[in-house]
Amino acid sequence: MSSLYSQARPISYPEGFTLMSHSDTYKDSVYFHYSPSFKYSVGLEVAKDDYFDDEYSFFRFTYLLNRKNTQNSQSNLYFQSGLDPENFDRHFYGLHGDWETRRWFVGFGYKESFNDFEDFSEKYLQFGIAPYLGKYGDLHTWLMFKTKKNSLGDGWSTYPVIKFFKGDFLIELGYNNKTRTDAHLMYRF
Amino acid sequence: MRLICLILMFMASIIFAEKNHDSHEHHGHAVHQNDVYVDGKKFKLDKERFDEFKKNLRDVQVAIINVQGMVCDFCARGIEKAFLKDTKVKKIDVDLENGKVVIAYSLNKKIEFKEIREKILMNGQNATDYKLMKI
Repeated sequence: MSSLYSQARPISYPEGFTLMSHSDTYKDSVYFHYSPSFKYSVGLEVAKDDYFDDEYSFFRFTYLLNRKNTQNSQSNLYFQSGLDPENFDRHFYGLHGDWETRRWFVGFGYKESFNDFEDFSEKYLQFGIAPYLGKYGDLHTWLMFKTKKNSLGDGWSTYPVIKFFKGDFLIELGYNNKTRTDAHLMYRF
Repeated sequence: MRLICLILMFMASIIFAEKNHDSHEHHGHAVHQNDVYVDGKKFKLDKERFDEFKKNLRDVQVAIINVQGMVCDFCARGIEKAFLKDTKVKKIDVDLENGKVVIAYSLNKKIEFKEIREKILMNGQNATDYKLMKI
């Protein structure tokens, strides 16, 4: 299973590398990508799937479909996809969008995944507020709520998420008794 | 367990928020949120940060660029990296609060807004205007 995680900026700045790890109820994964430009990124994700008890990898491609900048906000719409190089039947595609100011964040995602066992879809919505506005280089903190649904699971799951962000590092943690822990670490360079 | 996690998350956030708030008060952040004057024209900038930027700078031209869509450190970091590839850039800083990028160039650099705008556009943001001053 590939799980849908809210990637803060799924494409880096031009010529930037990003290393991220993600862990939730369904899988643990490590994803490394390179962005030749701010419009797209290519990378490899290696995953240990707890739901289907499987291990696999994805070549991933993410493309910025649209971006709107204003003085105080930025909104983005991304296309994301992945293909298992050893099994083309295993692949996924989806959309991911966000709108962000320095104070507020709204994000959403939808993804369709296909494999040899059972196809499934995932969707999420995420809202966040920054309790204070840090300067460039400060520690930034986001308090968020996320609601998500996996068609393999039993309905929507809503839970709080906290995100810390400083320099090139980001950590995002969420928890509820349905989904256990959502942990997302990211290092950009 | 869920309740404990919630409490821990919010406590951690409040602690970090308080720490940051204290830090800003210590530096008089709110007081120093002023307009900077370039050639008699107002340009909204964090004056304290700009004064710190100018410290020890001599014989440079400083471009203050208004940038749209610069909402987080990742945007700022990309812009910083792009401009620092230019050997004539002596120093760069980002004022996220006011959406400004401040760049100190050596005096022999011919500064053109077109070049600046393209570099920022390549990073995914939009430069709308700029001011130039000599130090």
